[in-house]
Amino acid sequence: MRLVIATCSVDYTGRLSAHLPTATRLLMVKADGSVSVHSDGKAYKPLNWMTEPCTLVEAPGRWVVSNPKGETLTITIDEVHAEVAHELGDDPGLQKDGVEAHLQELLAANPGSLEAGLTLVRREYPTDIGPVDLLCRDPEGRAVAIEVKRRGEIDGVEQLTRYLERLDLDGRLRPVRGIFAAQQIKPQARVIAAARNITCVEVDYDHLRGLDLGRLTLF
Amino acid sequence: MKLRCERDVLVDALGTAGRAVAGRSGALPVLSGVRLEVTGDHLTVTGTDLDLTITVSSMVNGSVDGVVVAPGRLVTDIVRALEPGAVTLETGDSESGDEDLRITAGRSAFTVRTHPAGDFPRLASPSGDAVTLPAEGLSEALRQVVRAASGEDSRPILTGVLMAAEAGGLRLVATDSYRLAVRDLPGAGAVLSEGQKVLVPSRALGELQRLLGSAAGGDVELRLGQHDATFGTGSVALTSRLIEGEFPNYRQLIPASYPNRLVVGREALLDAVRRVKLLARDATTPVRIALRPDGIELTVITTDWGTATEDVDAKYEGAEMTVAFNPAYLIDGVEAVPTDEVVLDTLDALKPATLRPTDSDDYLYLLMPVRVS
Repeated sequence: MRLVIATCSVDYTGRLSAHLPTATRLLMVKADGSVSVHSDGKAYKPLNWMTEPCTLVEAPGRWVVSNPKGETLTITIDEVHAEVAHELGDDPGLQKDGVEAHLQELLAANPGSLEAGLTLVRREYPTDIGPVDLLCRDPEGRAVAIEVKRRGEIDGVEQLTRYLERLDLDGRLRPVRGIFAAQQIKPQARVIAAARNITCVEVDYDHLRGLDLGRLTLF
Repeated sequence: MKLRCERDVLVDALGTAGRAVAGRSGALPVLSGVRLEVTGDHLTVTGTDLDLTITVSSMVNGSVDGVVVAPGRLVTDIVRALEPGAVTLETGDSESGDEDLRITAGRSAFTVRTHPAGDFPRLASPSGDAVTLPAEGLSEALRQVVRAASGEDSRPILTGVLMAAEAGGLRLVATDSYRLAVRDLPGAGAVLSEGQKVLVPSRALGELQRLLGSAAGGDVELRLGQHDATFGTGSVALTSRLIEGEFPNYRQLIPASYPNRLVVGREALLDAVRRVKLLARDATTPVRIALRPDGIELTVITTDWGTATEDVDAKYEGAEMTVAFNPAYLIDGVEAVPTDEVVLDTLDALKPATLRPTDSDDYLYLLMPVRVS
């Protein structure tokens, strides 16, 4: 990632013509070759940009970015105020359900918040139909499989039921009981869970994260 | 359908039933309407969002029997804006063949589109045997308890008020996990059989409290069904679905005894807390109470705004210490105590404290302190 703060003007020619008069701007050249021109405002959208594949040809006081479609971005630089380049490496991408993954992580660190005396055996405990979120042991040494969801609905109970069936086939774990943990559990999911002897536990995300420090609760 | 009645009668009926009308009708537009039914000289107005239903009965001058479902808020606003005096409501066919509701009074005339009456949900009649409670006692109990229920839907159980049979009487309990209110109504044991308990949404009981607050004396008729509860008072029937689920085991939260006891004037404490709370500009700033034999000192400290302190005369027996509370929750608890003086029992600065009246054990407000450095 190369960042250049410069006083510049920009001309685009292609499907139409556009001109940015002289001003101080941020020029961003990314590792994939794309070039974008930002002003000091708005959250994300550049004033002008050229996505890859494109070619940047630098000459003193003048950058010319062109692509195979014949579009050209000409940046005329009057003065460079700052320039920095940094290798960012691969990005892990956006985690669309980060709360659920974080809940699992927090509960793995503190399984006792689900039920007193639980100790973690393993996160993502493998079964032949996929990993169950947490496998724990209760104070009596019995195995407890825990499925963690942000919203507790029937699908999650069904999923945990399938894991319990598979885990019960393992003589080292049998009998395995289940805990269905979520920030909020729908009444229908509770009914099905109760019918299958699965314990439902609603968890407080803020509390687990320690964001309600100082706000003591009765239970 | 055609009727004629005084504007104020109609405003009362529409305003009361309209409180149950769905704010956002979602998939069922008809729920934004109120159902008006005329049978002889009898008008019933019903509003519902499927969780809460309010039906108001009024005597009117009915000309033509019939049913119409009209936009609740619009019709209420129209009727409320009319000149005082007689109002006529009459249904008729529009040019497009749909049914309209015509509202006329004096020189004003409105024609309003309606919802198909057949789309309005069929509401079950109140089930179960009726039992009677004194309205005044129930209203006071609701005032004391409903305030402690949670307003957050993320924990539906805590949005309800537990009604349970207790020692031959009726017990009401609510908690949002930061405070817990318990009120016993002795002698109201016929409502529930021993061991029976139901969880009624606090929103419904808040509406019931409003209704009872505007009624002088009288009784409340309660019918409990398997999935709903109906409260009847005067000409109004309020039906709410019950919340399913297990209420927290609140008994274990109430300490058996306390080593420290403060007795303080209710109004003096309320006034002082309200004053120092002016500096608590957000919901997380606590009020600290320094407990001393000669009285208490209230303090609110905020980094951005400054400091407020106030001394209040009080009788205190126990270890000197400072305990902090959410000021809004503290005010809620003190307000709910009906006596001139309030008892505040404490264990230490981090364990639940209890507010109660000086002369009875009917009411208890358990309040969790806030941890302060």
